[in-house]
Formats: sequence, C-alpha cells, structure tokens
Amino acid sequence: MTRLLALWRKETIALLRDRHGLAALFLMPMIFILVMSLALRDAFDVGAASDLGYAIVDLDHSAASARYAEGLRRLLTFRDTGMLADEAAARAALADGRIGFALVLPAGFGAAQPDGAAPREARPALRLLVDPVVPQALQTAFRLHTEAELGRFQAEALLQRLGRTLMIPELQALDPATLALPVEVLAARGSGRDPLAALPSSVQQSVPAWLIFSMFFVVIPLSAVFIAERQHGTLQRLASQQLPYALVLAGKLLPFFVVNQVQAVLMVLVGLYLVPLAGGEALVLPAGTDALAALWLVSAAVSAAAVCWALLIASLARTVEQATVIGGVGNILMGAVGGIMVPAFFMPAFMQQLAQLSPMAWALEGFHRVLLQHGGSAQAIGPAAALLCFALAALGAALILNLRSRPR
Amino acid sequence: MLRIRGLVHHYPRQPQPALAGIDLDVPGEGVFGLLGPNGAGKTTLISILAGLLDADAGGIDIDGESLAAYRRRHPAAIALVPQEHAFYPMLTVTENLRFFAGVLGLGRTEARARVAAASAATQLEGVAGQRAETLSGGLRRRLNLAIGLLGAPRLLLLDEPTVGVDPQSRAFLLDTIRGLAGDGRTVIYTSHYMDEVEALCSRVAIIDHGRVLAADTLAGLLHDDAGRLALRLAQPLPAALAARLAAQHPALHTHGCEVLLPALEPAALPALLTELAAAGCPAQAVDYGRQNLETLFMRLTRRSLRD
Repeated sequence: MTRLLALWRKETIALLRDRHGLAALFLMPMIFILVMSLALRDAFDVGAASDLGYAIVDLDHSAASARYAEGLRRLLTFRDTGMLADEAAARAALADGRIGFALVLPAGFGAAQPDGAAPREARPALRLLVDPVVPQALQTAFRLHTEAELGRFQAEALLQRLGRTLMIPELQALDPATLALPVEVLAARGSGRDPLAALPSSVQQSVPAWLIFSMFFVVIPLSAVFIAERQHGTLQRLASQQLPYALVLAGKLLPFFVVNQVQAVLMVLVGLYLVPLAGGEALVLPAGTDALAALWLVSAAVSAAAVCWALLIASLARTVEQATVIGGVGNILMGAVGGIMVPAFFMPAFMQQLAQLSPMAWALEGFHRVLLQHGGSAQAIGPAAALLCFALAALGAALILNLRSRPR
Repeated sequence: MLRIRGLVHHYPRQPQPALAGIDLDVPGEGVFGLLGPNGAGKTTLISILAGLLDADAGGIDIDGESLAAYRRRHPAAIALVPQEHAFYPMLTVTENLRFFAGVLGLGRTEARARVAAASAATQLEGVAGQRAETLSGGLRRRLNLAIGLLGAPRLLLLDEPTVGVDPQSRAFLLDTIRGLAGDGRTVIYTSHYMDEVEALCSRVAIIDHGRVLAADTLAGLLHDDAGRLALRLAQPLPAALAARLAAQHPALHTHGCEVLLPALEPAALPALLTELAAAGCPAQAVDYGRQNLETLFMRLTRRSLRD
C-alpha cells in the first residue's frame, strides 16, 4: 500500500503542477458549458421568444388587415419590430439584417375575407419575405404561424357572416380560438416520474456533453507524465526497484479516475449555480437514490473509458507532442461524430449511424437516459457496459504495447 | 561477491549477441570499473544485473546465491543509477526522494531517515525544496545518485554517472562514490573517462563485442613486464644525444619533450636518467613498467569507430 500511495501522491503533485492540463480538464469544460448553455438556450425552449425580428407591411390599411396583424403579433414568439410602410422598406430592413421576416398584407386583404366584398376569384396572396440565412426550420415555423392565424381569422369572419345571414347572434359572437384544443409539449420520461415536467433546457444537454469531452482530455496530463517516465528511464528505474507493472498502471488509473469524478461534480455545480447566474436555466438533477446511482454509474464508466483510452494513446505515442496531437484530435473527432458539438438529432440519418461508433455517443446516451429521460440503473447499464468494454479493450491494447516494448 | 559465468544475451533481430559468454568475478567491496566502447555490451550486462533483462544462457551468483533468488530475498540490495536523469522534473528534490523511498516500500520513519541520509551523502540539503527541472546538471546527477542510495544497496550499478557535469561536481561525485565503496558495498562503475576509472577503481574489466578482453586489478592491468618507459623532459633532446640514444635503443620514439621506450631493463634506467640530466634535459615526469589505461583500452578494443 505504501508503494501505491507513493505513486498516487506523485501523480497528484504532477497534475497539480501541470497548468495546461488543469486548464484542459477544468477550465475548458466550464467555459463550454456556460457558453453553450446560453447560446442554445432558445433552441431548447419551445416558448421562448426568438431574438429574430419581423415586421408587417400593411398595404390594405383596412380594419380586417389591422385585426389580423394584431392577432398574428399575439401568436408569434419572434421579436416584433413594428409596421413598415411598403415592401421596399421591408426589403431594405431584411438586407440590413434588422429583421429576418417581413409579412406583406396585400391590398384587398380585407375584401378577400369571407365577410368581404371582393368576388371569390379575387384572392391576393400574402407575401412572406425571408432573409435567406434564416434556418429552414424557423422559416417554416413563421409560415405555419401566419397560416394558422389566417385560418383562425377567416373562420371567425365566416362565422360572423353566417350569423348575420342566418340571424343567429351566438354565431356572430363566437371566437374559433376558444374552440381550439390546446397542445401541450411534454418530455417523454423513461421512468414515468414527473410526467408533467417541461422539456429539458440547453444546460441539461450541455453539462453531460462537455463533461464527457473534458473527461477524455485526461489524455494530455496522463500521457505527459507517462511518456516522460519512459523517455527519462524512470520506468526502467522503477522496474529495477521491482515495482510490479500492474502497480505502475494502478498508480495512474486511480488518480485520473478521481480527477474525472471531481470534474463531474464541478460541472454539475456549474450547471446548478453558475449557468443560472449568467442568465441560463439551472440544471435539474433526477431525484431518488436509483437515479443518482445511475448517474454515478455512467460517470464511472465514462471515466474508465477515458483513462484507459488515455493510457493507450500514451503507449502509442513516442513523444508528448505526438500524444497531444493524437489524443487531442482523436477527442475532437470523437466529440464531433458523437454528438458532443452538434447534437446527433440535428445530423442526417447516415451521420447518426456513424455517431454510434463514438464512445462519446455511448456516454452521452447514458447521461441522457438518466438526466433527460429520468431512467434508473436499469436504463443506464447498457451504455455503461459498452463504455466498460471499450475501456477493457483499450487497457488490453495498452498493456500489450507496453509489455512488448518494456524491458522486463 | 558477484560471480558471472558464461553469460549470453541476444537481442531479437540482431545479427550478433550483445553478450557472448561473459565470465567475471567482482569482489565484495570496492569500485569495479566496467570499460568498453559503445555497443560493447556494458549496458546489457548492467541491465541483467538490475533485473531489467534476462540472460539467454549462463548464470550470475551473488554470495553463492542465484541473482534471481538474491533479488527476491533482498529487493533493495541492488540499485541502478541510470545514465538518464531518471526522476520527475516537476517534483522537488525531497518529493522525488520521498517518492522513490515509497516505491521501495519503506515505512514513513525509515523513509524519512533514508531521504535525509541520501540528501546528506550527496549534499542536496540546500536544494531540498527546489524543483528538479530547475537544478543544474551537476545537481541533477547528484539527485540521480541520491535516489540510488535510498535502498542502502549492497551492489550499486552506476552507468556513466558523471556525464555532462562541471569539474567541481565531477570531483564531488567521484569522492562520494569512493566513499560509498567502503562499508562492504560494491560499486560497478561504467564510464568512458579513463582518468576517472584509474582514479576510482580497484579492479577493472574491459569488454568488447560481448566478451571480456581483460579483467584484473588496476595495477595488474597496467603492469608491464617489458619495462616500458615514458618520459617528459624539460626540453627536447639535442640532436647528437638523440642520435646516440637511437643507436642504443632502436625502438626509441621522441616527440617534442616526450620520449617513449617500449622496453628498457630496470638496471639501465638510472644511467639513462643521469645522462639526460647531464645533457641539460632532466626528466620532469617518469612512467616506468606501467601502461596507460587509455593506451591499453585502445590496444585491446582496436581504434575503429563504433557508432
């Protein structure tokens, strides 16, 4: 035990004095969580007002067009920049980037309504001008809002016309919006607990993603010490002191496992306290012993995978520079493919299949099952087992490489 | 203490064996010099003694016990001080010493005592709290040596321990190593510096191509029965005297103030020195009946380059 304690103490001191390693392990993910949680806040909030602006151009100047514009404004969650005089002004505003959408209500809009005076064949089109850089999904959302409000508006006008024709006052007073059935958007939870909870926030996605990413960055400090030991003959000296190789490895695996767990606690605290301070949503942890145990199980499995992967890179690389490049680029690729940087559900189908090759995707799946779907140990065991298999494979490969090149 | 017989080691995919049947006896106390050109097999031999390599054939006994059994019974009795700075640059001197004491499995009290003793022996107390990466070359060598002393070894293997240090540090290291050789401890010392070996080692082995070319006490190796004489004179020989001496000793070789006679009867030495003094060329340095280690080394290992 004295020998193992000495090895752990040495690794701890070496890590505490490695400022770059500490920054990669702790500072980088904290910044990423903070920035990405705030940047993606609206993308995960179905009711949040988008900062994207819109304007309405009313060329009809009728009571009907004014009522429609007012109704649409109440419905839209985009930023209302007011009315513009004509289409040319709208195009200028779009070109300047002041707004993303401009809805042009044509002359004759009021007359073309069911209670209007225009003949049925005279149906002027509403024109939606769009900044081409606005994502397709947002364009569709805006169009659907205008169509939905137009449908409600026309149904109301139709009812009023029928009420007048048939002399039924109730029909004239009826607002179709009051008859609409509400649609609630809910997160589907694995365990079925808390079924009425709202959808998860961006911090719920960012914390596990960037925690996983940073856990795999133990490759930098671990390989720096390991390669220096090999280059300086320190491993030979330890072998001549009859230190079993298994102890050398245990002396590295456990300290970095602990480092990973400290990272997990810190990143959760960032999600709980720092992100809300900066104006984002707070991380919501699942309740109950089983859920917390599942969370730890996933965290431990990610750590095992990350540390063994780091050991494999340190064994493959001849120099610290090589380890930094192979480990750093490898992590970025695993993160990009595995849905850390871009959530997998944004990816096309073949990329989503490719994502399943990345251990970071398995890790993310494990955290999502617990944090988003509120699953327990039974739900977490699959991704955890996959990560542990990856860890064992990496450890085995590292052992073979080291035993082959190491003097006995 | 150490008895090596028929030791063979062949690295995979190498045409020649690194050790091709080494026989060597190393006594139980003193500094034993191991000399050889690059690739001679010194490091392989040291590695086998340190337990880093297995021999393909032959055996090593220590005090009548096989090396493997001896290492099992006395895990800290053999210590290697490698040529590289085999410690942690980001740790301080004391942290390094404590770490390696911990690796030896020493308890807290014993470790503290050994760390203090090793620091004192190598005079590292003044830089105890300094990170190893900030030490000078000489201090790094001393730390490297100090780590080797932590286990109080009976057999200390020093692989070129003075490479790259200034003359003061070198003199200090040599004094320290000389001191370590007492008290029943054996030091096996490899170096390319012949003057160090001559100054330090009581016994020397010269190996090349994996074989022992010569092994004896230093005096025994350097003794020369033929009566070799090397002189350094106050001034070059006058031409007439040089011609007369050359007639008497056809093998005489002169170069400036240096005079070399490969063979001279002991009885003829006083007369020759007197004659030179009378001619105004008194001998300032006389080396008789003794070889120079470097000359012997070069003669035995040939002069061809090895790298």
